[in-house]
Amino acid sequence: MTGNRNPLINGLLKLHITLCLIFIFTPIAGSFVFSLNSDRFPSLPLGSFSTEWYRLIWEDPLVWAGFFNTLLVGACVAAIATLLGFGGAYTDFRYKFFGKPVYLALALLPPTIPVVIMGLAMLAFLSRVSLSGNVISVIIAHGVMCSPFAMAIIRLRLSQMDPDLEAAAWNLGGNEWVTMRHVIIPFTKPAIYAALFITMAVSFDEFAVAWFVSGLNETLPVKVLGFLQGQVSPRINAIGSLAFVSSISFIVIAQILMRNPESKPS
Amino acid sequence: MLDTPIVHFDNVVKKFGSFTAVEKADFQIARGEFLAIMGSSGCGKTTTLRMLAGLEDPTEGNILLDGKKINGKPTWERDTPMVWQSLALFPFLTVQENVEFSLKMRKVPKGERRERARKWLDRLGILEFADRNISQLSGGQRQRVALARSLVTEPKILLLDEPLSALDAHLKVRMQSVLSGLQKDLGITFVYVTHSMSEAFSMADRVVIMSRGKIEQIGTPEEIYREPRNRFVAGFLGSSNVFDGRLKSSGNEVWQIETEHSSFNLKAPSEVQKTDGSPVAFAVSSENMSLATIGTPWAGNSIEATVVGGEFAGASATVFLETDQGQELKVQKGHDELKTVDIRAGQKLLVHWLPEHCHVLPGE
Amino acid sequence: MNTRPSLFSLTFSLPLLIWQLAFFLFPLAFLVALSFWTVRNFQMQPDFDTVNWVKIYSRSVFWDAYFRTLLLASASAVLISLTAFPASYAISFKLGENAKRWMIFVLIIPFFTSYLVRVYSLQVFLSDAGILNAFLGYLGLGPYSMLNNSFGTLTGYATLCLPLVILLQVFSLNFVNRDLVEAAHNMRCGRLRTVLEVIIPSAKAGLVIAGLFAFILSFGDFVSPLYLGGGNPPTLSIMITDITKSGQQWPRAAVVALTMIATLLTVAFAAIKFAYREAGK
Repeated sequence: MTGNRNPLINGLLKLHITLCLIFIFTPIAGSFVFSLNSDRFPSLPLGSFSTEWYRLIWEDPLVWAGFFNTLLVGACVAAIATLLGFGGAYTDFRYKFFGKPVYLALALLPPTIPVVIMGLAMLAFLSRVSLSGNVISVIIAHGVMCSPFAMAIIRLRLSQMDPDLEAAAWNLGGNEWVTMRHVIIPFTKPAIYAALFITMAVSFDEFAVAWFVSGLNETLPVKVLGFLQGQVSPRINAIGSLAFVSSISFIVIAQILMRNPESKPS
Repeated sequence: MLDTPIVHFDNVVKKFGSFTAVEKADFQIARGEFLAIMGSSGCGKTTTLRMLAGLEDPTEGNILLDGKKINGKPTWERDTPMVWQSLALFPFLTVQENVEFSLKMRKVPKGERRERARKWLDRLGILEFADRNISQLSGGQRQRVALARSLVTEPKILLLDEPLSALDAHLKVRMQSVLSGLQKDLGITFVYVTHSMSEAFSMADRVVIMSRGKIEQIGTPEEIYREPRNRFVAGFLGSSNVFDGRLKSSGNEVWQIETEHSSFNLKAPSEVQKTDGSPVAFAVSSENMSLATIGTPWAGNSIEATVVGGEFAGASATVFLETDQGQELKVQKGHDELKTVDIRAGQKLLVHWLPEHCHVLPGE
Repeated sequence: MNTRPSLFSLTFSLPLLIWQLAFFLFPLAFLVALSFWTVRNFQMQPDFDTVNWVKIYSRSVFWDAYFRTLLLASASAVLISLTAFPASYAISFKLGENAKRWMIFVLIIPFFTSYLVRVYSLQVFLSDAGILNAFLGYLGLGPYSMLNNSFGTLTGYATLCLPLVILLQVFSLNFVNRDLVEAAHNMRCGRLRTVLEVIIPSAKAGLVIAGLFAFILSFGDFVSPLYLGGGNPPTLSIMITDITKSGQQWPRAAVVALTMIATLLTVAFAAIKFAYREAGK
């Protein structure tokens, strides 16, 4: 690109990228390795290969209950956040109105508020309106945190749409509702699926809010936190690895759905 | 019924906030007419078309379609299909599904929908692509899909918003003949918005010229070319030199106009009445002006000017000059005629033309 | 077309608005009210009493925690930005289009792993008899104490923020007009000077926003300071969890939370103002 290339500096820069990646991925890879290691406190040299921790969580009914709660919450949150996010994205795409910056701020700000504070505020508020301590409260809280992600993904897709497309459909005789069904939704469909899966993955990870808000019905991340606070158990690695694999599966599915949305088998 | 115009713009005004996009548009479009609305970008031509389509609401005035007022009626309740500049084809539908779209919106049964769509695809010569995806088509083929999609309901009027601007020159010319042929065959009204004079003049029966929201002139291409109404139109056509002056004497045959340069003679216009002393503007086409070395004899009107530069394109060249008073002139000539004069920059030359080549601008 | 909102437009715009008002803005507003409530016999009572504000603000423990959190978050933002920049610069300017796309994909992966699990894994690496110290032992170094101190906390912050900061920096560097860089070289501006005087000023807004995100995330995080920093002395977020767990002193936790929000808003506002300040007057 530029004329003066210095191989030494370029080499050092690439080494720096590698070091950053090692720093970022070592804990992730470590967690996988530890989950298959017999030692309770792994160190060098590593202990022997073992699936003990996976067997333990497999046999723990609490983990299963937490897992199903997480799935249930994730599915509801994905549906709610995607619906809300779609509405917000379409509103931003289509309309200009007084107070729009406030609307957008309200829609997009939640992820910037620390989860501890969100958890505190929501638990305090939801307990006042008798919504705390159950799965619904977790779904509400996750809906707030996840809808901005869904909105951003769908808005991005809408911005790739020829702005005349909607007007063309109106012009060809479809009213606004019909056009929504036959043009806007088909066009944004890949993003809608992506939003469903990504908000589900985010919900999987939002343990802190769940911890504060949920009482008896624990979701998986809350369970993880319980392990950390109580007896430290390498079972967390096994759970974490499984959660990671499920999250990544959601993302890969979303990626496949997002790819080549224009090409259609004929 | 047949003698009522299909479209009547009755003193239509469109404002966006404090900006006036269209100012008192008042004109009619005849049944079966090919009307072009022409102007540079931002002149209000597209807004005018969108108001007719029902995509914008007029701020004042009425729009009548087939003698009925259509203000406030949403576009999906009108039969005014439009072809977009971007074509706005649905990328998630096949060619066939795109063409069927408006029939589907009108709840036409599936079998009939299919048949009618295929008829139009066939008519436009793209039936073989019916099951293809839009992204697999060439620019010209997409153009035809857009036309078929708009015509499938067999409307009385078709609106086109610069549909050819994305095509290369060759394809553009071919599509122009497809469009005019189609319009003649169908006998329906086309309203065609463009910034290109060649597109407008080669296809349209009548042309509307707009500038800054105002209609400057409406007429057949020939009328507009021969008799521009005002300075804007003369300038927009791009090849005229406009002179300002006062009428010194108006004879039956010849008018004498006093300008800051000198006095010019021109053939008395039959359709314009002016009293002596009133201001007059007239245009002289750059093709009708000639250049000569100072001192050589000439006929008619003349003025001295300095060469600024030249533009050489194909068989002809345009020489740009400036008079001592600062007026810019352009003269368009074949290369052979230019051989006799020295047209280097800085050279002083004589520009001359005949009185019958002066056209008085009636709108000034 | 018309100014009166239609049923159609309200169907799509209102649900999100109502949801975020009811479950985001109201809870935060409720926090303000809560901070004036009083606690008697382990029961919260609606009240209008400034006692919580006075109690919290008069404690040196609070101010110690406040400035420690501020310092840690600022250090995190600066150190992570500085660490990220060479990598972001190299990704944006030195890698081909394909490698760049792969890098972005790879850097997104950490967002879908549990932060908590990563922190637990880091504990294993950083502890006194952990993997890192065992490795250093082979080299004849250490052992070093890397857990339950600021080093541990900052390492955790970096795990959380580094991928995001690199991504945001890469996106802003991608927008730097490549002609500017060539023009600078053409005017004999050296490599390093071009980076400092052309590239960084051009990408300033994005770089500042990236640092701001690191600050926001670190300031509010309670996992790293608790499990890697040892939790003692506490940061503000640990303080909130401590106060809520010990008895019913939620109004005091609300005071801490509101102070955090005010600080975050002030810093965010100042950073954004700085980021978008134009050259010249």
